[in-house]
Amino acid sequence: MEKLIEVNAVEKSFGKTKALEKVSFSVDKGEIVGFIGPNGAGKSTTIRILLGLIKADGGSATIFGKDVWKESVSIHKRVAYVPGDVNLWPNMTGGEVIDLFLSMRGVEVDKERKEELIRRFEFDPTKKCRAYSKGNRQKVALIAAFAADADVYIFDEPTSGLDPLQERVFQECAKEVLAKGASVLLSSHILSEVERLCDRVAIIRKGVIVESGTLDDLRHLTRTQITLKTEEDISSIREQSFAHNVSINRDQVVFQLDSDKFDAFLSYVQPFKVLKLESAPPKLEDLFMRHYETAEGVD
Amino acid sequence: MMQSHARTGKIFAFTIRKEWLKLLLWLAGCAFYVILGAVAFVEVYGDPLERQAMAQAMQNPAMEALFGRAIGIDNYTIGAMYSHTMTIMGFVLFAIMSILLVVRNTRSEEEDGILELIQALPTGRLASTTSAILLLVLTNTLLALISTGLLIGLGDSSMTTEGAVLTGVLYGLVGLIFGGVTLITAQLSSNARGAMMLSFGVLGLSYILRIIGDSGEFDALSWISPLGLLYGAEPFVENNWFPVWIGLIISLVLIVTALALKHRRDIGAGLLNDRPGKRHASSFLKTPVGFVLKLVRTPLIVWAVAMVLLGVSYGSVIGDIEDVLAGNEIIEQIIAGDESVSMTDQFIAMIMGVLAMAASIPTVQIILRIRGEEKKNRMDKLIAGAKSRTAVLSTFILISLAVAIIFQLLQSLAFGGSAVAMGYDISLLDMVSAGLAYLPAMFVMIGLTVMLVGWLPKASSFIWLYLGFAFILLYFGGLFDIPEAVSWLSAFYHIPEVPVEDWNVWTAILLTLIGAVLTMLGAAGFKKRDID
Repeated sequence: MEKLIEVNAVEKSFGKTKALEKVSFSVDKGEIVGFIGPNGAGKSTTIRILLGLIKADGGSATIFGKDVWKESVSIHKRVAYVPGDVNLWPNMTGGEVIDLFLSMRGVEVDKERKEELIRRFEFDPTKKCRAYSKGNRQKVALIAAFAADADVYIFDEPTSGLDPLQERVFQECAKEVLAKGASVLLSSHILSEVERLCDRVAIIRKGVIVESGTLDDLRHLTRTQITLKTEEDISSIREQSFAHNVSINRDQVVFQLDSDKFDAFLSYVQPFKVLKLESAPPKLEDLFMRHYETAEGVD
Repeated sequence: MMQSHARTGKIFAFTIRKEWLKLLLWLAGCAFYVILGAVAFVEVYGDPLERQAMAQAMQNPAMEALFGRAIGIDNYTIGAMYSHTMTIMGFVLFAIMSILLVVRNTRSEEEDGILELIQALPTGRLASTTSAILLLVLTNTLLALISTGLLIGLGDSSMTTEGAVLTGVLYGLVGLIFGGVTLITAQLSSNARGAMMLSFGVLGLSYILRIIGDSGEFDALSWISPLGLLYGAEPFVENNWFPVWIGLIISLVLIVTALALKHRRDIGAGLLNDRPGKRHASSFLKTPVGFVLKLVRTPLIVWAVAMVLLGVSYGSVIGDIEDVLAGNEIIEQIIAGDESVSMTDQFIAMIMGVLAMAASIPTVQIILRIRGEEKKNRMDKLIAGAKSRTAVLSTFILISLAVAIIFQLLQSLAFGGSAVAMGYDISLLDMVSAGLAYLPAMFVMIGLTVMLVGWLPKASSFIWLYLGFAFILLYFGGLFDIPEAVSWLSAFYHIPEVPVEDWNVWTAILLTLIGAVLTMLGAAGFKKRDID
């Protein structure tokens, strides 16, 4: 696969604070990668380095194989970016700003595409920017980004301030550009959104990438929630090494199963006459939380 | 390097679209200033004898502190008079225009995050800054052309074409220099307010250096100050082009340095470090007064220092005046109009007025801060708390009143103190009362500002026009013939000029009452209206 974004051992310090420490990850062509981590972990710093807005102290970062700092202008011709906090000129209308952003790309504005997006996001482009709510300002940047025919889309908390319906529109649009072969880097706090959209995730914490891989890969590292009902008494499950956080409520047992011990669990459970067995795949949230809880002691 | 400027043209075109109205108004204001000077001198000082008497009167440290070194005294033509009296104030006005222009188009947009969006597009890293520079050059070129045209059109025969061109060039150049300074401060500070304060600091320092240089023995100081340097061109008198070349070189160096700094630094970063702040709000900060004070603290401290310096500078020249004027009856008749009144007292009264207007700026700024908070959508958070709107507004008003009183005390003490120290025979108490006499006019300023914020929030900044108008009346009132009806509109005009005139209790009460009524009306409007 052709790697469109490649970050290799990138470092960045602000004064004495180390913001990024040897951050590495990549985004392939036609792929969407989720970039997650708590506030202040270094997501936006990484993205700003990728956009050539700030300069990395060490390592290398490239988009389309070009250095992000030195060749920012030619890279940006094929990159669209939406930050999480969009501020605009108070005395311009939303429509004017969208046109301005698109015209900066130096290509003809695809009017139809723009109008379609304005409709889909239910956006009123005739109001002055000072009158827009946060969500509406966000839409200005989103429409300008999706209306551009880019090869790489970089989103930093793009749906903050949007209502759930508009969030869905964003997800559809993201899928459409993926279908056209573009790549997307999505930094988000909304883990369900990342889960729904992303092929791979990279988790960053305190400036270090602590995990990266496909969601399936990561799920293996975690536990599945099992809800179980058996005819025979199964309270001995408490002693099994694969079961965690067991709670027994009348005849129903709920516990966390190490995802790689499914086999052991099935052979164990057979003799107890299973009446009901439900397994819920681990949510990204569980994964995320687990990472943060366990990593806490490492510092 | 070409990459760094990609799409500058497009951004520049856009910048003009969003700025043209503001710049048009500024240029109109500047043009008005030039017209005022040119027309008034031609009209009022047609008689050479009268001009010559004026020239004599101008040759003293006090007048030189106000207007600049006396120039063209041997042949005090209309042109010389214009150059002498209009230049320094004009410079300050044009410098302010350029400082605000540059901050608005550089650090403000960066602070708001707009620059991030622009720079993420295929635009060069320097495109926005370059477009701000182009706008600065364009605006100041227009200013130069307009001023030159007006002076040629309105001036008399003493206002030669060369002098008019030189004046125009100087006006544009002072904007370029201080715009250039601001381009640098916008790289140094990580926020717009900081950049602006640094630039105004440089402007203030230039002004004070010039006062000391022009009115004392340290001439060199005037030449270090950009204001003094450009003043040295003396259009219509010497037509000295040398300062122009120096000024151009300074502007160029500033602009190139700013671009180099911008090219190297991260977006959002300033080259001066921000200090880490406090973790907790102190118990004082949690009180309404403490909170508002914290909002306005830094500018207030800067203003206080600036005003004390200004007061001391003006006060230090007082002692010399009497010697220069001793026995010159003609001057005393023309300037004072009354032989019993000393020239120095006249000067003191005028400086007191100037200082009071300077102190009105921070006073008014505190009230305007309400509007500022509102525009940044922070007013909701203040009002949504347990505090009523009126309580929030009253806190701002109270602090504004306190600032007016404290600043008047402070600067009359500084001014009077240095006058007494220089050996002038006046009691400090008289000086302080002269300063406090201006308080009622400042109360009217506060009242007017509250009115605007309460009823016409979008027009709040018009208060500066009113203050500017009052300032022109005071500063140039002695030179021009201003109709009584026009003067009457200024609150400051009604203040008796202590120590020349006696303090009048009724005027003070009446003005204070007007101020109070305006404040209450404004507060009523603020209580009723929608918060933006």
